[in-house]
Amino acid sequence: MRISRISRNAGAALVAGLCLTTSAARAQATDSAGSAYLRAQDFETRDQYDSAAIAYRQALVQTPNSLAAMLGLERVYAQLGRSDSLLPVLDSAIAREPRLNALRAAQLRTYRSLGDRAGLERAFDQWRRDVPHDPAPYQEYARMLIEDGYTAQADTVLQLAQTQAGNARGFSYEVAQLDAAMGKWEPSARAWRQAVSNNPYLADAAVFALFPTPAGTRDAVRRALAAAPVSTPPLKVLGALELAWGAPREGWTALHVLRPDSATIAAWLDFAHRAEQSNAWLVARDALVAADQADPTPAYLVRAANDAFAGGDAAGAASLAARAETDLDSAAAATTALPIHLRALSALGKPADGARLLDAYRGVMSADDQAQNARLLAWGWVRVGDLEHARQALASGGGGDDAAAGWIALYQGDLAGARRQLHAQGDPSGDVLAVLALLDRTRATKSEALGNAYLTLARGDTATAAAAFAAAAPSLADAGSLLIATSARLYTTHGDAPQAIAAWKTIVDSLPQSPEAPEADLEWARILRRTKQTPAAIARLEHLIITYPQSALVPQARRELELARQTVPSTS
Amino acid sequence: MFSKRILTYLAAAALALLPNAIRAQHLLVPMDDDQTNHLKAYGLTYNALKDGARGEWLLNYRGGSFLLPDTPELRRRAALDGITTQPVDDATLSDIRNQMSQANMESVPLEKAPRIAVYTAPYSPPWDDAVILALRYAGIPYTPIWDDEIEHGDLSKYDWVHLFHEDFTGQLGKFYIAYSGASWFVDMQRTNLATAKKLGFPNIPALKKDVAMKIRDYVNNGGFLFAMCGATETLDLALAAHDVDIASVFADGTPMDPNADAKMDWNASLAFRGAQLELSPYVNSMSDIDGHQANVPGRRQPLGTFTLFAFSAKFDPVPSMLVQDHRTVIPDFYGVTTSFMKNRIKPGVTVLADEAGAPWAKYIHGDYGKGSWTFLGGHDPEDPQHAIGNPPTDLSLHPNSPGYRLILNNVLFPAAKKKPLKT
Repeated sequence: MRISRISRNAGAALVAGLCLTTSAARAQATDSAGSAYLRAQDFETRDQYDSAAIAYRQALVQTPNSLAAMLGLERVYAQLGRSDSLLPVLDSAIAREPRLNALRAAQLRTYRSLGDRAGLERAFDQWRRDVPHDPAPYQEYARMLIEDGYTAQADTVLQLAQTQAGNARGFSYEVAQLDAAMGKWEPSARAWRQAVSNNPYLADAAVFALFPTPAGTRDAVRRALAAAPVSTPPLKVLGALELAWGAPREGWTALHVLRPDSATIAAWLDFAHRAEQSNAWLVARDALVAADQADPTPAYLVRAANDAFAGGDAAGAASLAARAETDLDSAAAATTALPIHLRALSALGKPADGARLLDAYRGVMSADDQAQNARLLAWGWVRVGDLEHARQALASGGGGDDAAAGWIALYQGDLAGARRQLHAQGDPSGDVLAVLALLDRTRATKSEALGNAYLTLARGDTATAAAAFAAAAPSLADAGSLLIATSARLYTTHGDAPQAIAAWKTIVDSLPQSPEAPEADLEWARILRRTKQTPAAIARLEHLIITYPQSALVPQARRELELARQTVPSTS
Repeated sequence: MFSKRILTYLAAAALALLPNAIRAQHLLVPMDDDQTNHLKAYGLTYNALKDGARGEWLLNYRGGSFLLPDTPELRRRAALDGITTQPVDDATLSDIRNQMSQANMESVPLEKAPRIAVYTAPYSPPWDDAVILALRYAGIPYTPIWDDEIEHGDLSKYDWVHLFHEDFTGQLGKFYIAYSGASWFVDMQRTNLATAKKLGFPNIPALKKDVAMKIRDYVNNGGFLFAMCGATETLDLALAAHDVDIASVFADGTPMDPNADAKMDWNASLAFRGAQLELSPYVNSMSDIDGHQANVPGRRQPLGTFTLFAFSAKFDPVPSMLVQDHRTVIPDFYGVTTSFMKNRIKPGVTVLADEAGAPWAKYIHGDYGKGSWTFLGGHDPEDPQHAIGNPPTDLSLHPNSPGYRLILNNVLFPAAKKKPLKT
């Protein structure tokens, strides 16, 4: 009895010792496998694929079911052009883990990369037999067939899958892709509708697949995505598609019918973001306003105000900014809503309103914010032609702004002062550089005509400013061609092609030795091309190339010439 | 005031000080790396000939340069297109000729701009054919023709005819495998079938076979044929299959003759012999002529480079003209037919370029009757993996393309005056 107890205790100790030994050995093996895997990754990172393959194989010997090591081996064998070596490794792993889909997918990928269509088909058949109710084999194989252009075979596989599954729901993504690949846009849209309804993360894939829909078929796609009962994911896809097709307003029209809930608000905000990226500012504004109505958030209103202003709706911007200010505390409003509010009031020609607004927030603004907002207000005064108030506004912001003071000097015709103060700018903007280029072309110190031209431009009257620049040219002969060129550019911006041509023609005919002469030929030709006067455009471009062969504009002229002659495909 | 002698001296001195440009009698258009726009240089030469001037092709001299008369108009055109030209006086030209006489170089007179036709379907976008891209970019005029014109005997109006990716087996490139539902494919099928019916043929394959035979007759009568991409392989298949059904059921309502291989008449073809046809209607390949099989994923061969062969300019001026280039090794490019298996090329055909160590040739040439043909595999030398729907190639981005030069060599070579062989 005693002996047996001792034996039993000894046996227990032995078993415990064995367990400990086994655990220690396993831990050691796992460490070793982990170390082999880490070495393999390191080799792979350093493009040492031979060594990486050996290390991954070691990792698999020690941990045969390591999926990470298997996928690593797949990658490096592909790099080495030895994907065929992976097949026996995969066969062993699949025999151990027949239901591990990742291994099966790797097997399909390998056969595919080897171009072994028969092997690929065999592997697929075996997979679907081993997991008869699993959609994964059909999905994986069908995607490969679609990507390889075997659309008819993919269709067969998906039909088989649907027969096995009893319905098509699990395969809507693959069906959608297949239909898109075959140019069946309407069925594809219906399948995408189902796919994104089940998996909203597929929205971008749907947009990518449906984007090439020909214009004549888009209405059918629209109907499929917007069909009742409406739901957020398909309409989100439709909104993005409309943006991509260049119809942002239609996108918002489709989306705004949704009942506001958190998913809808997220879709509206996503749409607003996409619209902003497409410069569709006013529909972005509307989406943000709708989001604010559903979930009052001043940040949405501030963004909407900025979008409204960017879209040319200064009144809307002022109104939205004012609403945001009421919902924000003063300090937050001063840094977020106030700048766009001031900008909008300045654009509307209401600097006095802006001044009152600025005064109301003066106590909560930092010195930097005061200076910045004072500049915005000063532009408002410039816009209404009140340069004295503009100076006072700058002074109230702390002064010391060379650029703003330089601009005001310029508007007053003080070319010497403008030159001095704008040159003093450390990091001049493009506008300042353009003005300096002009000021440095003339020795004149005063010119009311030029100041008036710039002031008119600052007030937003482009057509009158264009005429004013041309009128200033005779009095500033040393910069005459540049002033006429400025006039021509403004006429072009204003859409007045005949006046623009007249200005460019003046340079070509009367100032052919001026630095602006090649540009005059080129821009004249571009206007002619835009107005379909191709032979005349060709003549101008040829004139430029022959007359100014050393001009830096010759490559551009040659490019325009190719396009005008239609000797290269148009990029538009 | 001045003596006559002094005046004569001053006049001579003034003449000597005049720039070469004023005194030159010829314009050399170099085609080596000094040339800024190789492709437009062909257009300059072609249009000079078209306007009645004569020129010379200086084979192997500075990349296959051209010599043109020095006229203000040609200088103007060269300046507009950014083409490098160099004025050459008689003394310099004499030096050049002396240099050429002592090397593998030869001057070939260029006399007449060939009349060019391009076989292209009315539904084809203008930028889907490398030859049209090259012709338009170089400013070389051409006439588009299709089945109606060929069936009405219009080929005799042209000196040079180009074929591109037309499928002369009548199976529309087997695009039905992947694009049967695409609207452009439906339109293509409808247009071809309507044309066949209008011209009295029961189906598309029957029409295309007849068109292929008329093209071969055109070559036989002295025409120059240049084909690329799928037109090379399918033209010969259609010719050899004059009495056998090689089209799938999709194309003509009946399956392909299972014994078609044995019934092919390779005496009727231009370039190939003994090819095995692809029997499956669902494999996007026509035969084993193409070495690369780009549209059959399991068979596709990787792209390498091909090397242009050097020929004796004095004794083999025709192949020499066809391989003039500033590069001899050129990156390969896929097409419906990319290359030609050498074991399928007839004896007597001249291989102009091949891939070292590979069993295929890229560029081949041969005579047939009084005319000649040239086949270049691949679709677009500057878009090696061009796929349907890809944007067209803008040749202003590739003005020095060595691959496109091969196409333009073919355009200009019918302009050469035939010299008696020196052998």
